[in-house]
Amino acid sequence: MFISLDWISDFVDLSDLAPEVIADRLTMSTAEVEGVTILNRLTADKVVGEIVSAETVSEKEGKKLTLCKVDLGGGRVLQTVCGAPNVRVGLKAAFAPVGAKVRAKTGGAESSDIEIEIAVGEVAGKISEGILCSAFEMGMSSWHEILFEFPADTPVGTKVSDLVPERDVLIEIDNKSLTHRPDLWGHYGFAREFSAIFHRPLAPLPRHDVSRYDGLPEFPIEIADDNCPCYSGIVVGIKAGSVNIPSPVKMQRRLHALDHRTYNLLIDLTNYVSLEIGQPTHAFDADTIGRIRVAPMGKEGTFVTLDGQERKMIAEDMMICDGDKPVAIAGIMGGLETEVTPQTTRMMLESANFKSARIRKSAGRLDLRTDASQRYEKSQPPANVKTATERILQLIADSGTPFEIESRFSVKGNLDDENREIVLPPGRLNALAGIEFPKETVLSILHSIQFGAEYLDDGTLRVEVPPFRSRKDISIPVDIVEEVMRLYGFDNIPPVMPQMSLAPLRTDERIKLQHRAQVYMSVSAGFMEVHNYGWFDDNFLAKIGYDPGQTLVLKNPPTAFNSRLRTTLMPNLLALVPKNRPFKDDFRVFEAGKVYLPKGDPLDPAPVKDSAEKCDEISTFAGISYVAAGKTPEEHYLEIRGILSDLGRIFSFDSSSFTVTPGAGSPTPWQTEGLWVEVRQGDTLIGTMGLAGRELMTTLLTEKDKGHLVWFEYAFQKIKGAMFPILRFKEPPKFPSSWQDFSIVWDTERGYQQLAAKLDEFKHPLLRGRSFLTVYKGKGLDKGTGSYSFRFVIGSDDHTLSGEELEEFHRAFLDFLKSNGMSLRG
Amino acid sequence: MQELKLQFLKELAAAKTAEALEAVRVKYMGKKGIITNFTKTKDLKTLSSEAKQAFYREYNDLKSFAADQLKKVVPAPGGAAAAAKKGGAIDLTAPGAGRRLGALHPITLTQIELEHIFEGMGFSVYYGPEVESEYFCFEALNIPSDHPARDMQDTFWLKNNLILRTHTSANQVRTILKAGAPLRAIFPGRCFRYEAIDPSHENTFYQCEGLVIDKNISVANLIAVMKTILGEVFRREVKVRLRPGFFPFVEPGFELDLNCLICGGKGCPTCGDGWIELIPCGLVHPEVLRHGGIDPNEYSGFAFGIGLTRLAMMKYGIRDIRYLNGGDLRVNEQFSTIL
Repeated sequence: MFISLDWISDFVDLSDLAPEVIADRLTMSTAEVEGVTILNRLTADKVVGEIVSAETVSEKEGKKLTLCKVDLGGGRVLQTVCGAPNVRVGLKAAFAPVGAKVRAKTGGAESSDIEIEIAVGEVAGKISEGILCSAFEMGMSSWHEILFEFPADTPVGTKVSDLVPERDVLIEIDNKSLTHRPDLWGHYGFAREFSAIFHRPLAPLPRHDVSRYDGLPEFPIEIADDNCPCYSGIVVGIKAGSVNIPSPVKMQRRLHALDHRTYNLLIDLTNYVSLEIGQPTHAFDADTIGRIRVAPMGKEGTFVTLDGQERKMIAEDMMICDGDKPVAIAGIMGGLETEVTPQTTRMMLESANFKSARIRKSAGRLDLRTDASQRYEKSQPPANVKTATERILQLIADSGTPFEIESRFSVKGNLDDENREIVLPPGRLNALAGIEFPKETVLSILHSIQFGAEYLDDGTLRVEVPPFRSRKDISIPVDIVEEVMRLYGFDNIPPVMPQMSLAPLRTDERIKLQHRAQVYMSVSAGFMEVHNYGWFDDNFLAKIGYDPGQTLVLKNPPTAFNSRLRTTLMPNLLALVPKNRPFKDDFRVFEAGKVYLPKGDPLDPAPVKDSAEKCDEISTFAGISYVAAGKTPEEHYLEIRGILSDLGRIFSFDSSSFTVTPGAGSPTPWQTEGLWVEVRQGDTLIGTMGLAGRELMTTLLTEKDKGHLVWFEYAFQKIKGAMFPILRFKEPPKFPSSWQDFSIVWDTERGYQQLAAKLDEFKHPLLRGRSFLTVYKGKGLDKGTGSYSFRFVIGSDDHTLSGEELEEFHRAFLDFLKSNGMSLRG
Repeated sequence: MQELKLQFLKELAAAKTAEALEAVRVKYMGKKGIITNFTKTKDLKTLSSEAKQAFYREYNDLKSFAADQLKKVVPAPGGAAAAAKKGGAIDLTAPGAGRRLGALHPITLTQIELEHIFEGMGFSVYYGPEVESEYFCFEALNIPSDHPARDMQDTFWLKNNLILRTHTSANQVRTILKAGAPLRAIFPGRCFRYEAIDPSHENTFYQCEGLVIDKNISVANLIAVMKTILGEVFRREVKVRLRPGFFPFVEPGFELDLNCLICGGKGCPTCGDGWIELIPCGLVHPEVLRHGGIDPNEYSGFAFGIGLTRLAMMKYGIRDIRYLNGGDLRVNEQFSTIL
């Protein structure tokens, strides 16, 4: 939104302040300024002229060229050929003589604006001694289609810059920072702010008091929709065509400065007042409507808006109706049939208040965001309804256009135009600000924004909020705190560190454990952490042939292929393999992220207060390790398995706490029968890991059989753990211990874990520990068997072992093997 | 040959400096050295094969004896590199092998650093769900049903009418309900907005929300805490300014701007006008406290939202946000560090 300082100058004098100072103070106290634009108009070298004769010199393809004689006053009449459609005898327009500068477009695809000097020209065989100007040519706005029209009473020969000063300053405000300030959707609201910020007097807004018409008949209005808190109408009689005249130049130049095109007094008025106080209004031809009824559309249907477009309406849309017949979309746009025309002699001026939610929904659905809807969406205060009507009547009167009021100012609903009271308990303001405000400072700030304010004897602050400040903006005591502080300057408040108690923190240990796991994987295990998106890529799922089954589904996915929320981290990780393979032949990647498991029917729209009722969100830890060459898949797998076993230490300081069992079947593309295991902590299944099968590798990488991939996925959340060690110290042996190595032949299908469980059954008083050394398969062994080597540590707490004892241990272990049908490698 | 050996030992013993030792080495064992070329000075054709063998045995013994002697007294000439050139010796300057360091995601690095700073100031850390209800994401935060944030324009909606949280503020009321007052907590985490991706916009990004609730918490406290935290994050004294900003769940609401650390506030391409809009914040709205079961007449608080993704990008000089979720390991591997 742009603010014209020319406009502001009607109400507050800021003429001695640099625009940058104004912008900066506004940012610090009111709303964020996005930029300052100096508007340099080319009006100094032009005069107002009257077209005294107009003769068509050529007309083709709908484009008419007219030879005009223009009276510039003082007996000076020059001629020019003009192509503007609004050329006519009697029109007063700006004339740029030879030597004057005008704005022009360079043309072409990337047209930009340049300034050119007018030279004597020949058009259609006729000499032009200058040109008649559009607003664009005078640097007033981008509107170039028609000549800028001056009111008929403008004296010829007047320097244009006397009416349209060369300079204006436009301050651009970030609309986001006005979301809660409907009063700032008009210039007068900003004038109030400037008056308060710079401690300068504020001129009142001139209004034409309508109470003088209270004796006239009521215009019939009925409100049958809760989304309309207040509706007013007044019937204004005018001479036919009398509002179809150019608006006063002061109005026009400001509308143009904000890049609004000007049309005629009536249309310009509603735009002008909307930009001045933020309240939209609408003019109906009073002869086309009899009584107003504000009601929902009620059923689906169509409606033709004044831009000639047919709009599809739904039952909930709020309509302004003449009786039962819709004549306007409330708060958005009027209808074609009831629009005022040059022939209109009576207009019904609507000024109303509509609730923001309804307007937002309809405007959004219709994709019809108008100046009016934009303002209603900010929750305009109903009090503006009367202000706007009175302001428009004042501006008609100021323009010298005769009018006659035919009805009283008729209102239905609540104008809400009384001050409202907010009371702050003693000390509340200072406590929340953290500073001791002098009472007179507080009162003077509040008075500067036209709030009533007084301190009661007990220190209570009683505030009267004026009705032009929306209830959405100011309704509770902290809102008053904000008003005082922002105008005092947040920056003027000295920082004070809060004083806190030393109570111990309640910290979520899972977060610390997760960080440990992340740091371990990266620092100790060479994995790179990535972040993938929270949804699947359907194209990739199809490529690897994975069906995730039931998932949560996005109504508005980022793309049509990303509608399903991930229930496993694996597919998005696997997608990184082909992506990174061209650059790397060895990489390890992990992700610590959430997967989202639906609870109940993922399509059930019933609202819930806590998302946990419909979604199980699981913190998950997954990774892949890819190697192109240099180690066998088995070596690779065991390496990663070793890394993940050590992950157990991070949680429970015991690397043996994770056990694995072969997984059944091939439930996903990355789980191939015989190549994956389930990982458990105690009895709890916490994850899976394995080697990618040949089929998946062939899908991922075009070069067949190139390299191998180990993957894992742990449900981090299910792993039990503790932040600090739960270890017990064991005294080292006082007497030297000895060891004996055994290589045991074992069925590889049954696996290490079953062998280890079996060996756990061997008890001996001298046994102090056992560690796994290696497994050998191949020459000298039957197929399907391996030689598993272990080291047994043997010792005693009270003496050094004798040779007999060592032999006895050896025998005892061989007996154990024999009784279990196992043997040593031959 | 015996004479040669004695002569060599004598000269070796006489050499006292590195240069002298090197000279001895070159004289006897260099490419044109006496010992090296000793066989060429003898006519061996006349010798019997036994005598020839005996000669070579003696000669080889002499050569290895001389080499051993030299090795004892001559430091590897020219250092390890020169030794390596001759093969055989270990190049101690070659890069290490075997171990490799992985990398943490730049967001994780920044997040852990923030958590560390806040914990040092007595804040707890909590995470909340990413799939949220309208209640915690909007309603409990005083965001009315007609607020633009609740449109499809900005929010990812699920078919079961849950949403992907649009801000970590969604965890405010959850945390108040869980931990009660007084409270000092941050909740970093992943957020989602329905918007098109370009170099400065992502639909998936990270924020770090902070919340302090206690008796007599004031705007002056908020300013002090924010200034301190930014000083810790950037490891230098920072200048901040506070100006009005609107967020339904705070009142009054502010935008906290950081005085540009690059130009010192003069204005530059990074900041524009000398200030970087960094942290939206404000006093917790009484309605939010009420949703958390806390009496706003007894307690007050402040909340702030740090753009974690933005902070990480500033810290590491990442100009295109799309690198963060892009999975290009040439990006991720650059954040190799030990925390």
